[in-house]
Amino acid sequence: MKYIYLVVIFISGILLASDVKPINNQLALKECGSCHFAYQPGLLPKRSWKKIISNLGNHFGTDASLDKKDEQMLLSYFIKNSSDNSNQYLSRVITRYTRADKTPMRITTGVVFRRAHDELRRSTFLRKSVGNPGNCIACHRTAKRGLYNEDYVRIPR
Amino acid sequence: MMKKSFIVLFVFAILANANGFNPQMQQYINQLKTQAQKSKSNFVDFSAKRGEQIFVSEHIGKRGKNISCSSCHSTNLRQIGKNVHTGKSIKPLSPLANAKRLSRVKDVKKWLRRNFNDVYKRQGTAIEKGDVLYYINSK
Ligand code: HEC
Ligand code: HEC
Ligand code: HEC
Repeated sequence: MKYIYLVVIFISGILLASDVKPINNQLALKECGSCHFAYQPGLLPKRSWKKIISNLGNHFGTDASLDKKDEQMLLSYFIKNSSDNSNQYLSRVITRYTRADKTPMRITTGVVFRRAHDELRRSTFLRKSVGNPGNCIACHRTAKRGLYNEDYVRIPR
Repeated sequence: MMKKSFIVLFVFAILANANGFNPQMQQYINQLKTQAQKSKSNFVDFSAKRGEQIFVSEHIGKRGKNISCSSCHSTNLRQIGKNVHTGKSIKPLSPLANAKRLSRVKDVKKWLRRNFNDVYKRQGTAIEKGDVLYYINSK
């Protein structure tokens, strides 16, 4: 009997564990979630976040600048929780498959993202209800919790 | 000193009620007015009408394409807008439809800095910022 409980706890532990650590910082949720889904720090290595967060004045062709104090606070939060400082499953995979001599600026151009979505057509990402590949939350309904498991995916029409 | 700042705050509170800005925002508007007077000696007050032009007119923006403030915020400020760069929806800009708008000076300054850069490829002048805030506040 005891044994069954343990198995149940173990299995639900696996099911509930997130792939990346959810964001638990109000400033990051507010400032990095105003123009798009707030990507978890565990989706890119710290060298990427350094480059992204120190260039917010020219962020993918838009001005996302912050005052120095907020920028510094976000930088340390993103570095502390970057993929290479995290033990979560998806973060470890991303760290492992990102070439050490590259500093990716996007999640959506990385090997892990491309392999995970190789069965999807480009047009699926561009349809109106999705917009672009970076809109994780359009298909991954549990993305805010850091859960990207394919069981929770629903592609909108 | 304390007394003086209380009186100043009190005056701001009255002014705030007059045209619907909270005391902090009114203080910011007053700063913009002082700057505006310095740059233009016959400056009287900001104008929502000029603000509308600033808001709806198109310009070659930061991305080299035609863009206006309405591209993201729409021309009906009580409606939900949509970020043209990312597709994410934007809550209404009008304080009448969304009480949080034009209430925090820090956020207002931040977005004016970013959004003028995106549309005009430069910072807004004190007069332009005041005009556009009057316009948004009147919608
Ligand atoms: C002013 C709007 C704005 C803000 C604020 C903003 N971003 Fe972005 N972000 C964009 C745009 C626009 C893109 C590019 C979208 C596209 O073309 O696919 C983007 C793309 C990204 C991407 C690449 C997504 C991909 O395709 O893999 C990352 C990572 C990113 N942003 C991180 C951040 C972080 C971290 C913050 C907070 C410090 C932030 N952003 C705040 C507008 C913004
Ligand atoms: C158009 C919808 C769509 C968007 C947008 C999208 N995904 Fe996915 N994603 C899917 C689907 C569908 C699958 C399952 C693919 C399969 O099983 O072949 C998937 C699978 C994954 C997986 C693998 C999960 C597993 O259990 O193997 C990860 C990780 C993932 N997505 C992360 C992301 C991230 C991060 C973003 C945003 C940067 C994103 N996805 C955006 C539809 C999407
Ligand atoms: C590329 C899209 C885009 C464009 C173009 C744009 N904005 Fe914005 N604006 C945003 C976003 C996103 C926000 C933050 C939305 C939120 O807080 O939900 C915002 C917020 C604001 C705010 C802050 C309101 C508050 O108190 O919260 C003001 C004021 C503003 N915009 C004015 C302008 C003006 C003036 C222009 C033209 C010079 C402009 N915007 C052009 C996307 C845009």
